[in-house]
Amino acid sequence: MSIQSINGCIGCETCIKMCPTDVIRLDPKTKKAVIKYPADCQICHLCRMYCPVDAITISPEKSIPVIVSWG
Amino acid sequence: MTIQSGINKITRRNFLALAGGTVGMAALASMGVPASFIENNLEIDLDKIDHQENEADVLVIGGGMAGLFAAVKAHDAGAKVMLVSKGSLGSSGQTPFAKGIFAYDKDLTNVSLDEFVDQVSRSAIGTNNPVYTKQMAEHSLARVTDLREWGFFDSPLYNNSFNKPIKERNIPVMERITITHLIKENDRIAGAAGFSVDEEKVHFFNAKSVILCTGAGGFKPNGFPICDLTHDGTVMAYNIGAKVTGKEWNDGHPGQSINAASCFDGWHGMFERKPGLTSVEIHHDLGVDMNYMAYMNGNPLQMGPPGMNNQKGSTGGPYRPEEFSRKEPPGGDNKPPGREQPKEGGAPPGMGGTVVGGSSAGMSIHKSEGLVPINDKCESTIPGLYAAGDALGSYMAGAIYTQIGSSLAGSAVQGAVAAEAAAKYSKYIEFQNISKNVMNKIEEEILAPLKRDAGYSPAWVTQTLQGIMIPNFVLYIKKESMLKAALAYIEELRDHHMPMLKAADMHELRLAHETRNMILSAEMKLKASIMRTESRCSHYRLDYPDMDNENWQAWINIYKGSDETMQFEKQPFDSWPNGKRIIV
Repeated sequence: MSIQSINGCIGCETCIKMCPTDVIRLDPKTKKAVIKYPADCQICHLCRMYCPVDAITISPEKSIPVIVSWG
Repeated sequence: MTIQSGINKITRRNFLALAGGTVGMAALASMGVPASFIENNLEIDLDKIDHQENEADVLVIGGGMAGLFAAVKAHDAGAKVMLVSKGSLGSSGQTPFAKGIFAYDKDLTNVSLDEFVDQVSRSAIGTNNPVYTKQMAEHSLARVTDLREWGFFDSPLYNNSFNKPIKERNIPVMERITITHLIKENDRIAGAAGFSVDEEKVHFFNAKSVILCTGAGGFKPNGFPICDLTHDGTVMAYNIGAKVTGKEWNDGHPGQSINAASCFDGWHGMFERKPGLTSVEIHHDLGVDMNYMAYMNGNPLQMGPPGMNNQKGSTGGPYRPEEFSRKEPPGGDNKPPGREQPKEGGAPPGMGGTVVGGSSAGMSIHKSEGLVPINDKCESTIPGLYAAGDALGSYMAGAIYTQIGSSLAGSAVQGAVAAEAAAKYSKYIEFQNISKNVMNKIEEEILAPLKRDAGYSPAWVTQTLQGIMIPNFVLYIKKESMLKAALAYIEELRDHHMPMLKAADMHELRLAHETRNMILSAEMKLKASIMRTESRCSHYRLDYPDMDNENWQAWINIYKGSDETMQFEKQPFDSWPNGKRIIV
C-alpha cells in the first residue's frame, strides 16, 4: 500500500513539496493534503520525516500492479 | 513512419469502433480491464494552458548537491542565476538519501593525493578519468567546509540547509518544473523549456549557458529511491546533438527480499541519520558479481567472497583485481542485529542478508553515465552546455565503485567547477533570440500526450519496459542474443508506443515524458552493451567474459547522427573527445 494515510493534517503543504515523485496534492476544498497518486510512491518516507505534526503513516508493502497485455 | 502517423490519427470514436464499440468496451470491462486504461479522461482545460518566459545568464537544472553548488558558485562568480528543479531543493534525486560525503584531508591521512588517484585508477582498470578523480579529492574539503557553514551536517533533512545559501543570495528558484527540452540556436545553447506540475503552464528559459544537474536515472525500479530520475538530462542533451557516455555500466545494488519496493526499509534507517564524513578507503565494489552468482546458482544467495557464509562459490564471473579483494561484504549497514550501527553518515545499503536484484535497475555507476566532458571544466560538446554530478559522464571513479562517499563529494565539487566555467562563458556572450516557431513546436511536443484522445498510459508502458529490462539475464549478465531480443522489444516501444503516450493531467504529463526518456535510455544501454565485446568492471558479458585490452581501452560515446539515428564511437581511455591526451 505504500503511503497509507494522512491524519491531522494542518495544510502546510510541506509533504507535497518534499515528495520526489509528486504523490501528494492539496485538496482544493478541505485545504489538506491528500494521497493523489499512490502508485508512484517509492516508500522513501521523506514526507513523513518532513511532516511537522507527524500526520503521515506509511506501510512497507507495495502491491505490484496487475499485468495486462495493453493498457 | 506512415503506419505510425496513421495510427496517431485515430480518434476516440474510430478507436471505439475498432474495439467493437460499446460491446467491445463491455467485453473489456468484463475481463477486468478498467476503463481508465483505455480512455484519456482529460482532467484539465487545454485552452487554459498558459506560457511564461524566464531569463538567466546561467540556468541550473536540478536541485540536488550538484545544482546547489552550481547555483551558489555561479552567483558568486557574478552571473545572474536561476535554478529550476523537477522536485524541491535537497529533496529530490538521490541527494536526500546520500549520507556519507568524502573529504580528502591531507592532515588526516597518510595517503598522498597522487597515491589516492593511482589507487583509484588501478581499481577502475583504466575506466576512470584521473583528472576528475583528482579534482574531486582536491576540492572535497573546501566543499564540505561550505556545507558545514550552511548547516548541512546538523539535520538528516537537507531542504533547510540547501535553502540557506540560496536565500542569502536571493537566487530565484522554480520548483516542481519538469524540463523536457534544451534549446540550441547557432550551434550553441540558447535556453530550455518544460512545464509545471502545479499549474497548467509551459515555461521557456532564455539562458546564455545551462548547467545540467539532473542526476542519473533508472527504470523506476523497486528498492532504490530513484523513481524520479529518468535520465532526463542525458536525453534532452542527446536530442540537441550532445555526446553522452557510460550506458553499458551497471550499478549492481541489490534490494531486500521482503518488501523489496520499500526503499526506506532497505536502507536500514539510514534516511533518518544526519550526514557524516568518509575517509580514504579504496575498493573495487562490483555488485555485478552478485548478479552472476544469482544467475549461476539461483536464489537464495549470500554475499561476500566465495566460501563466506558457507556459500557455494562460483567459478569465473566478473574479474576483481587481487589487490582489492574483500574480506567482508561491501556496505557498512547491513550488519547483523546487535552490532552497533553508526549514528551518522554511512555507505549505501549493504550487501549482506537475503537479497534480490535490480533495486537500482537502469542506473549506471555514479559519475560514469551522462554528458561527455571535453575538458576538466564540466563542459559538454555543445558550447554553453555544462553538466555536473551524476548528469556528467566524468568517469570520476570509473566504471566501478572505488570510494564510499566520493559520489556526493564529486557532485558538490563538479557543481562548483561547472558554475565558474559557465559564469565566465556567460560574461562574453549575448542572449540569443528563441523564435516563435521554435517555441510553438516545443510547446506542441510538450503538450502532445494531453491532446491524444487515445493511446497508452505511461504507467503501463513503464511497466512493460521494466519487464523487458530488469531481469538479471538482460542488463546484468549479458549475452548478444538476449540483448538483441530485448532491443527488438524496446524498439517497438520507441517506434509505436512512445508516439502514443497519453496523459490526463500534469502529473501524468510528467510520467509520459519520463517514460519517453527511459525508452531512449534503454535503447542506449542495450546497444552500448552489444557493442562492448568484452567484460570489464561493472559490464559483464557471458559470451565475452574476458577483458580485451587490445580493443577496449576505450569509453563508448553515443550521439544523434545527421540522419537522426543513434550513433556510437570509441573514445580511448587516455584522451578527451578532441583526441588530446588526458594529463593529470
